[in-house]
Amino acid sequence: MKKIKNRAYFALLIALALVAGTIVYIIRLWNDGGDWVMLRANRSVFSNGVLDVGEVTDRNGVILARAGDGVYAYAEDEAVRRACLHAVGDYEGNIGAGALNVYAKRLAGYSFWNGTNSIDGKGKKLALTIDSRAQVMACNSALDRGAIMVMNYETGEVLCMMSAPSFDPAVGYDSETDSADGVYINRCLNTAYVPGSVFKIVTLAAAIENIEDLDERRFPCAGSVIVGGELITCTDSHGEQTIEEAFANSCNCAFSELTQQLGGEILNKYAKDLGLIEPLEVGGVGTAGGRYDLWSEGSGSLSWSGIGQSTDMVTPVAMLRLCAAIAAGGTVTEPRLLMSQAEKKTQLLSEETAAKLREMMNYNVVYAYEGASPLITIDGVTMYAKTGTAEVGDGTSHAWFVGFIDEETQPLAFVVISENAGSGLAFAAPKAHAVLTTLLGG
Amino acid sequence: MILSYLFYISRYILPLAAAGIIFRCARSLLSGRYEPEVWGYMELPDGARVPLRNWECTVGASRGCDVRLQGLGAAQLVLLRDGEGNWTAHNISPNTDVFIEDEPIFEDGLPLRDGDTLEAGGQLLRFYNLSESERRVVTSRRTAPGRFVRAWDMFIYISLFLVILLFQHIMTAQEEFVAPITLAFTALFALMWSYYVLMRLFGRRGLEIEALAFFLSGLGLSVCASCSPESMRKQVLLIIAGLAAFLLLGAWLRDLKRVKSARLWAAVLAGVLLAVNIIFGTARNGSNNWIELGGVTIQPSEFVKILYIYAGAATMDRLYLKKNILLYVAFSAACVGALALMGDFGTALVFFAAFLVISFLRSGNFATIVLALTGAALAGFLAMNVKPYIAERIALWRHAWEDVYVAGFQQTRAMSAAASGGLFGTGAGGGWLNSIVASKTDMVFALISEELGLLVALTALAALIVMAVFVVRNAARARSSFFVIAGVGAVAMMLVQTCFNVFGSLDILPFTGVTFPFVSMGGSSLISCWAMLAFIKATDTRRSASFVVKQPGRIHDRNEFTAEESFEEN
Repeated sequence: MKKIKNRAYFALLIALALVAGTIVYIIRLWNDGGDWVMLRANRSVFSNGVLDVGEVTDRNGVILARAGDGVYAYAEDEAVRRACLHAVGDYEGNIGAGALNVYAKRLAGYSFWNGTNSIDGKGKKLALTIDSRAQVMACNSALDRGAIMVMNYETGEVLCMMSAPSFDPAVGYDSETDSADGVYINRCLNTAYVPGSVFKIVTLAAAIENIEDLDERRFPCAGSVIVGGELITCTDSHGEQTIEEAFANSCNCAFSELTQQLGGEILNKYAKDLGLIEPLEVGGVGTAGGRYDLWSEGSGSLSWSGIGQSTDMVTPVAMLRLCAAIAAGGTVTEPRLLMSQAEKKTQLLSEETAAKLREMMNYNVVYAYEGASPLITIDGVTMYAKTGTAEVGDGTSHAWFVGFIDEETQPLAFVVISENAGSGLAFAAPKAHAVLTTLLGG
Repeated sequence: MILSYLFYISRYILPLAAAGIIFRCARSLLSGRYEPEVWGYMELPDGARVPLRNWECTVGASRGCDVRLQGLGAAQLVLLRDGEGNWTAHNISPNTDVFIEDEPIFEDGLPLRDGDTLEAGGQLLRFYNLSESERRVVTSRRTAPGRFVRAWDMFIYISLFLVILLFQHIMTAQEEFVAPITLAFTALFALMWSYYVLMRLFGRRGLEIEALAFFLSGLGLSVCASCSPESMRKQVLLIIAGLAAFLLLGAWLRDLKRVKSARLWAAVLAGVLLAVNIIFGTARNGSNNWIELGGVTIQPSEFVKILYIYAGAATMDRLYLKKNILLYVAFSAACVGALALMGDFGTALVFFAAFLVISFLRSGNFATIVLALTGAALAGFLAMNVKPYIAERIALWRHAWEDVYVAGFQQTRAMSAAASGGLFGTGAGGGWLNSIVASKTDMVFALISEELGLLVALTALAALIVMAVFVVRNAARARSSFFVIAGVGAVAMMLVQTCFNVFGSLDILPFTGVTFPFVSMGGSSLISCWAMLAFIKATDTRRSASFVVKQPGRIHDRNEFTAEESFEEN
């Protein structure tokens, strides 16, 4: 019997296998359970393959989307629904960058402990950082096609992320009345545009750090200059200018000169380092990348590339991020879309360079924009900005306005792009003004 | 509103109740240290007296022998005691001659009487049987079945568990099914307590194994209520049938002589059942392992499991015979082959695993096992060529998430639902996996994880592991090797089946479609599991514990010697 007794322990190997397999399962569950529950057939989370749980609100608790028991609801107010469409997304899953799609896993509210169960129904409440009032203001600013983004550059919270054209998700896209032009794309994040003069911020940053006698230099402008056989035109004949004046005049001749001196390599490096080229990740959403091509020294194309024309492309969010970095002394608090996301900082520029850029962007506002129109600057608020009027090649121009305001409680950076609208000062700046005053409580 | 909060909170109490059941049973099964029984003594040439603690003992030179004596063969003698207290000695190593009172003994043995002298390899041994008065002393010295045994509070925990399950099902079930579900749970409740009262009337106190089986059957009833509430009545009737099978087989196992004599018949019956199945079987889900009898479908292979274990287990005198081992291997090959022929590869695998365990218990030979494994691997390749769907299943293994619509359909749904349940589940009947095909059989672990939570699902595994550890611990004290082999064979089969069932559905092993003991729906399987429980119960020799084991105090010797006399002689 002794022998048999000892052999009997052999059978415990099977029990051991059972325990080992169970441990393997628990480890896999711990690691991948969140993905497993996102199986479209999981009726705890999906209904007929559509996310059926969770609630999305704006920063003030205004409900933007709510699902449960096969009932899908968006914001009560149609204007809010239209304005927040791209930030929130739709239950049909057409808007890939929307919160309903990107944060589906969080909305499912899965946790290892509770699975997808919760006492008050199912799913989780997610608060976006956007402010639905600012969204509506942005949506009402007569933007046909383009993007408006505003973020708090100290906390990284994106307060406004509005892409046009839009439609009412409660009704669904209607080809009769709604514009078809890339209506499902969130232009703030996923469209790269010709930057035009707003790119001069990048050229200027490179010049500040690479040209020693920049402050002493004088830049002549006769209204145009020929580089490499190509005519570089200017809006005016600006005469002798300091770098500050050249930036405020947005003088193409001066920036052509700087660009030729810096060369394509350095500008390419700056465009890359300042985050304009590589795709970014904004609050978990992947963005489009930008473009800056290398041109040979002395060529007209090189000159144009430093002015933001040529083949240059940037996304609105990348410009916003750059402005936020300049505003905060060179280190950006990464833009985020959820109140619950943690702050993350990245240094883009040295403190000194950022300070100089701030100075010149402010000089630009005071020198070039103040008094030009009541709808640009805000009384009692210091503004730092740059316009862009980016020629797109069909005779029209994209209107850009980027920058930030220095206000104690509302440190806001902004970007506006209005496609084929014309002058940045005339057609982009007032839209920024409208949204900023809304956020400032005006 | 209050009810829905109560429902939510009850989800947290359920795993507590389940853990309570497991903890109570495990503590009383595994922590009680108890004295072994003594059935006789062997006096060695140096005058030392070695107690014989089982009904089957070996005498020889090897370390594994119960009575060790140099100068003999590795395993020289097997001493057997029958239910009436008559001992026989068998010489299983013919190279050395052994005599009882100058009479030579062979393989088939000679009676061994109290005070007999054995001469083996020139050495003298003396055998003493246990006297009645001595037995009384030994019996009283043996402690009760674990000092923690208090069966009623285990049954209270199970009752609590069942009440919560019933409450949750009432909350989630469709109105037309509330009554049958309530009735079924009440019936299980009544059945369990009736069993408790019955056993107490018979003076049996060790009811942990049954408690675990009732717990698992309760889970099975919950699965039934979730997946097919229309068959609640049938499920309860099956549990009653299972309990009856358990009691019948248990009663049969009380008499070792009877048990031994029927081994051949068990093997023959197993063969007949398999043959009938092959000839009259109808195909279901790819396997040809069903037969229809007057509107009832049964799965004969489930009953063959019991017969296979019964025929495979052997008493010590047979264990060492080459002829016997060969016969067993042939019988096993026939069973596994027949199952493969039916296309029931899952069950064939379970049988094969049981074969490995039993044959190791019998021979202790690793070489045999390696040989068997090699043979099985070859057979497996052959099977894959004949049945390409097996190869497909193995190819899919660990890749279920790459094809969630066709090949990985079941596994991905099982894992998704199980993850959604979290640790505490959605509440009984509150999930969605119950609407997926085969969730009540093949994916039952995931179904329980989804509805009752991972913790309860783990307690189901724990219940089986506790049974296994208990049986293995009992091996030293079992009266006959038959009971050890049968008990270990039964738990091995259950554990292997559980591994295949659970890990198959979770993409850790290939999907084989075998049942989870007691929990998966399926009548034949449920009855067979309860019956196999009798084998486990038969290893439990704690005093007054198992109804399958006769109490030592009540076993009256009918041999012709009275021990008192022989003691006076010395």
